[in-house]
Amino acid sequence: MKKFILRFSFAIFVFSAVCSSVNAQNRTDVFAIINAQIITVSGATIAKGTVVVRDGLIEAVGENVKVPADARVIDGAGLTVYPGLFDAYSNLGIPVRATPQPGQTQAAAQTVSNSTYPDGLRAEESVTEILRAGDAQFEAVRNAGFTTALTVGRDGMLNGQSAVINLAGDSVSAMIIRAPFAEHVTFRPISGGAFPTSLMGSYTALRQMLLDAQRLEAWQKLYETNPRGTKRPPRDATLETLIPVANGTMPVVLNANSENEMNRAIDMIAEFKLKGIIAGGQEAWKVADRLKKQNVPVLLSLNFPKRTAAASSEADGEPLELLRLRAETPKGAARLQTAGVKFAFQTGGMTSVADFLGNAAKAIENGLDKNAAIRAMTLSTAEILGVDNRLGSIESGKIANLVLVRGDIFAKDRTVTHVFVDGKMFEQKEKPKTATPTTTTSSVAQIGGNYNVTVEIPGQPIPGTLSLIQQGSILTGTWQTLNQTVEIKDGKVTADGFSFSATILFEGNTNDITVNGKVSGNEISGTVSTPGGAIPFRGTKIP
Amino acid sequence: MNANAFKNPFLFYVASDVCRQAAGAPLNMKKAIGFLLIVSISLISPTFLLAQSGKEVLIRNATILTAAKGTLQNSDILIQNGKIARIGKNLRASADAQIIDGSGKFVTPGIIDAHSHSAVDGSVNEFSYSVTSMVRIEDVLDSKDISVYRGLAGGVTAANIMHGSANAIGGQVSTVKFKYGRPVGEFLMTDAPPGIKFALGENPKRTNFQPQPGQTFRYPRTRMGVMETIRDAFLRAKDYRQAWSDFRAGKTKIQPRRDLELEPLVEVLEGKRIVHAHGYRSDEHLNLMLIADEIGFKIGVLQHGLEAYKIAPEVAKHGAGVSIFVDSWGYKLEAWDSIPYNAYICWKNGVSVSINSDSDERMRRLNLDAAKVMKYGGVPEQDALQMITLNAAKQMGIDKRTGSIEVGKDADIAIWSAHPFSVYSRVEMTLVEGEVFFDIAKDVQKREELKKEREALEKLEVNKPPGSGPTTQPTIPREKREAHRDDADGGNR
Repeated sequence: MKKFILRFSFAIFVFSAVCSSVNAQNRTDVFAIINAQIITVSGATIAKGTVVVRDGLIEAVGENVKVPADARVIDGAGLTVYPGLFDAYSNLGIPVRATPQPGQTQAAAQTVSNSTYPDGLRAEESVTEILRAGDAQFEAVRNAGFTTALTVGRDGMLNGQSAVINLAGDSVSAMIIRAPFAEHVTFRPISGGAFPTSLMGSYTALRQMLLDAQRLEAWQKLYETNPRGTKRPPRDATLETLIPVANGTMPVVLNANSENEMNRAIDMIAEFKLKGIIAGGQEAWKVADRLKKQNVPVLLSLNFPKRTAAASSEADGEPLELLRLRAETPKGAARLQTAGVKFAFQTGGMTSVADFLGNAAKAIENGLDKNAAIRAMTLSTAEILGVDNRLGSIESGKIANLVLVRGDIFAKDRTVTHVFVDGKMFEQKEKPKTATPTTTTSSVAQIGGNYNVTVEIPGQPIPGTLSLIQQGSILTGTWQTLNQTVEIKDGKVTADGFSFSATILFEGNTNDITVNGKVSGNEISGTVSTPGGAIPFRGTKIP
Repeated sequence: MNANAFKNPFLFYVASDVCRQAAGAPLNMKKAIGFLLIVSISLISPTFLLAQSGKEVLIRNATILTAAKGTLQNSDILIQNGKIARIGKNLRASADAQIIDGSGKFVTPGIIDAHSHSAVDGSVNEFSYSVTSMVRIEDVLDSKDISVYRGLAGGVTAANIMHGSANAIGGQVSTVKFKYGRPVGEFLMTDAPPGIKFALGENPKRTNFQPQPGQTFRYPRTRMGVMETIRDAFLRAKDYRQAWSDFRAGKTKIQPRRDLELEPLVEVLEGKRIVHAHGYRSDEHLNLMLIADEIGFKIGVLQHGLEAYKIAPEVAKHGAGVSIFVDSWGYKLEAWDSIPYNAYICWKNGVSVSINSDSDERMRRLNLDAAKVMKYGGVPEQDALQMITLNAAKQMGIDKRTGSIEVGKDADIAIWSAHPFSVYSRVEMTLVEGEVFFDIAKDVQKREELKKEREALEKLEVNKPPGSGPTTQPTIPREKREAHRDDADGGNR
């Protein structure tokens, strides 16, 4: 009888193990992936071995690891296990800030703060305050193999403090791996008319704030040692946040893509001896020697520039610089590798996250070592983000973030079959081979076309034609208004709206403007943010 | 010189001519686009034309307009390590020296534009405040701006890159050598004295410009307010300097804030930073000099100074220079009362006069502006040439290094096909510190290379147009849309 019970329970166990390998349910938190190729990244590749996951951590990894009796067994025959992929720079989990409604001022749409600094310079704003919890929002990126991301605020010149998060979790606290990771800077004007209204001013703004933070730190120390007889230093959340940045203990991530932007960012890092990291890095290879010399890592975007516009006999040829940029960008990673610059891959706002691995494959075609490519989306990223003692490789004791792939991870016919985040398994149904994995295209508005647009300045409406070209979430095109045709820059399409920036002549002034709009059928509306404030606009699609 | 230089001798001249017409009539799009086609093929890769540094260069048998010691016939210039080593006849160079045959050519110092807004990324105005002395052109320089290359094609080798004129105090200007495509660290003349841009009149008081919706009117709104704004800024700078000197003397405990707005004004007070003051009316420039005298600093250069002829003795007494347009006025009310004899009258009164372009495009023809000064008032040839070379260098504080052809100075040189004051003359070669940065013969060759490069690049998969989708709209490049100088359209430059 005893024997029978034992046998019976064994049968149940086997049955449930079989079930679990086809079901997404997780009735237990112990897994054994057997017979799989294991790319540990930190050590040698295991041709056929076992990874044991228990309670969110990797319990064991190796060729001859015993499968624990309580483990759910996943037959990894034909599969390769990689550490979960990192997106080294994203906005994952961060809601888009509300677009101001027509008539509503920019100020009304801004965050409430007691800061003495205007919106856009509030260093203290942290993504952990606005992160959304929950697994569902990350399904698409997990399906592409991502388990971890650096997530960063979108707005302002100081984008605030970022966090390293796991791409699953029922609460924000469960998602966070490291917060704050760094302060983030995008050199650009802020909206609302306050300083800086120019690119030029943005460099000075950071410089002055870092100097003020240094002074505040010295003042605080003076006060702590001897408060009596010392004037009390002011409490200033913004400057207090910048103290560790200014004294080089907290990393600061500077967005830079062109060679000029790169050089300016590196100059700023050198000037203040910052713990600097570059994000973007489209032309980082052009300044690779400087990056190497100053030990500045790069969160390199794999969102390679693409041609989106069809040929036109009317238009001039594309600028040579642009043709060169498209040809050279995929070669950048290999050049950084040769120069010995530390880099990690980021999605860079790409339309389809599936392009991430596809473009990494292009980088490999252009000379990047395959192992270096894998490292740039796992352990190198973990090192740059300071979490390599927890993540980035398959080693016992590390967080069980894993991705199981059928086929070569860089081949077009790869299939991500399972993803583990914090030891929680997410299983993906294998897709038909013909399906193109576009994950976000369907969730963005369709906005492409020509619009008659009026910028509603009271008593002085300004008509114009907005020609928008959409490819996925990327928006390009032109705006013909005020006797000029301006190209739109940084164009993005979201679920129900769009945004772009442009430089426009108005009343004799060259202005950097930002446009935020919503789409409703054939109508668009929103605001034009100028250095002087927000102006509503409306438009109708030209059939 | 290579005979290829003359393959298409009129190309450059024709381009300039069309451009002038297009500039005069912006709506004449056909001509403008035709011009673009001509100019766009001269887009040259920055890595092009890098002469070997440290090598000797010998310019032989040329007519040399030294801009300092008269004109030398059939003479040579020997360049070593980027400096002018010898000037004379029958000079010898080492075996591997680059020899430039100057027979029949005219050699001048490289032209220096004392008022430029070229090679700047983003807005040249920081509109938020009336005093923005904290912002720096240095932070947004772009040495690959094509206008730099086009400037070289007009013989320009150095420029004073400034902010616009929207603010009473605009910011920290940059003195650059036109080393096209080089890293900004080389482009920038790091040993040049720093400068600062001031502005008076209509632009800083903003009355000609509707505030953008949502923006409140900015102080000041009157000419007297502009003066008060400048005085106030300097009084604050004095307090700031005092606060630091008290702290350094141990009189205060807490270190004062380092104020990037006031630091450059303290440098002005200490005579370490040159003030370039945009203004048109003589009463305003006079007032500014009075404020400077009252507070205790010097105005370095009156920029534009269309009415400087009315106050020439006062300008001379203050020791300021003027940097002007020769024959351009009337484009707005405050720019009404100028005369073509402005340069002559200032010069006659002992004022240092330079002629500037204030424009990407007119920068290339400053030689003709200098020629006009000979016509209006009869300024001698060398003095006229100095107005686009040595005097500009003096106004920018770089005359020890450049501005004339003298032994020991940087080899910043333009070589012309004819006398530079002739409308038929064009620049054939421009050297900056002994390196050839423009060579008309190589430019023609390079166009072919670029054409081939373009063809090869366009064949790449990544550059092929998608089969469907919207088409590119014809656009006019940004630099062609910008109006020239401080006129009603351009404003604020």
